Amino acid sequence: MLLPGFGEEGQQKLRESTAFIVGCGALGTVIANMLARAGVGHLIIADRDFIEVTNLQRQVLFDEGDVADGIPKAEAAKRKIARINSQVKVTAIVDDINHTNIERLITCEDGSKADIIVDGVDNFETRFVVNDVAVKHGIPYIYGGAVGTVGMTYAILPHAAPGTDDANQPSWERAGRATPCIRCIFEQAPPPGMNPTCDTAGVIGPVVSIIANYQVAETLKVLTGNLDAVNPAMVHVDLWQNHLKQFKVARAYDAGECVCCKKREFEFLDGKFGSSTTTLCGRNAVQLTQKSADGDRLDFEAIADRLRPHGTVKVNPFMLRADIHDNGEPYELTLFKDGRAIVKGTKEATTAKNIYAKYVGG
Amino acid sequence: MSDTITIQIPTPLRPQAGDNATVDVTGSTVGEALGALTQQFPELGGRLFKEGGNEVNRFINFYVNDEDIRFLENLDTPLKGGDELSIVPAIAGG
Repeated sequence: MLLPGFGEEGQQKLRESTAFIVGCGALGTVIANMLARAGVGHLIIADRDFIEVTNLQRQVLFDEGDVADGIPKAEAAKRKIARINSQVKVTAIVDDINHTNIERLITCEDGSKADIIVDGVDNFETRFVVNDVAVKHGIPYIYGGAVGTVGMTYAILPHAAPGTDDANQPSWERAGRATPCIRCIFEQAPPPGMNPTCDTAGVIGPVVSIIANYQVAETLKVLTGNLDAVNPAMVHVDLWQNHLKQFKVARAYDAGECVCCKKREFEFLDGKFGSSTTTLCGRNAVQLTQKSADGDRLDFEAIADRLRPHGTVKVNPFMLRADIHDNGEPYELTLFKDGRAIVKGTKEATTAKNIYAKYVGG
Repeated sequence: MSDTITIQIPTPLRPQAGDNATVDVTGSTVGEALGALTQQFPELGGRLFKEGGNEVNRFINFYVNDEDIRFLENLDTPLKGGDELSIVPAIAGG
């Protein structure tokens, strides 16, 4: 690339780098596409979902043939990238990313860890697991999120543990470019059902591309060692309001008492918070139990309003029940006031978590 | 009006705010401005504040212009006419 601060040396660094792309939906397909074209040598692409025709409006790596073939997103991305840039090695992971497997999956064959984690995730539970692993192992992590016409992105160059001597600090800490982690900024995940999801509220393609490409730009800066160019602010855009803003977040580390990057307690990676799943024997159903810092109060009416376009919804003071069709398969989703959910129509925990993230969110 | 504060309402909270993307209020602190907002749109109160109403929810951030109120003076952060108060929830989608 013929750019200052890049050059052949920068290109060589990209070729020797491994990027872990968590989630290969709207954001993840744009990220994988651009990083493959940029020549990042190894992409690990993880996603638990299959491609649906309604994804094609924004998930740029996929086409109608992939929908017809019924192949998982991570595998479809791998096949597509092989035709875009055959020099890029792609590891496709078709699985739910959670606290039990992420440390293994970010580890390459030679035992080294991925050089960067890029966020294409659709829920905050997984994000907090990713944030924990990024801070624990000192891996840069590029957050991105988009829904409706709004998106947000932010580059985390995680702080080393307080008291780490200079020799063992990452280059960005020595350069004074370390940034607060995602939990410094958002201490808690929004409770389930609080915010719309891309599947209930929609998302326009342009906001996805803008946020994802911003993430890619930050990724290229980090991988080529152009740390001075990494944006220390959180970028926020609303394309319908013509609103672009950069929020200063640098003080969140010094002024805050972050449980993750300052106190080094990895609550999500340790499985203390987050959801657990139980397959309900003989019922073709999976129960999801949420563990969060605050007791959750679900707003059934708000969730019901968002689910009605997708199927029949019944609400009483104790539970909400919705019939949903996803990728042509019928599911019955039952939500309880404490955030517990039963997804009927599958025995697979991954499928149940996917349905929950897409239609309830959190 | 010179002492007007413009509050940016995020998409998920607009149904509780009369479908407005921005609401203009007056107030000399963040707490007063949010008080004026929730007086006008009472349903917003339950979304912004924890039960009891004295503390904001921790999955929503508030910025005066481009500064996080947690690192200013929280709800006591002073405001002046023309300031923009942004309500920014975490965005989960992707």
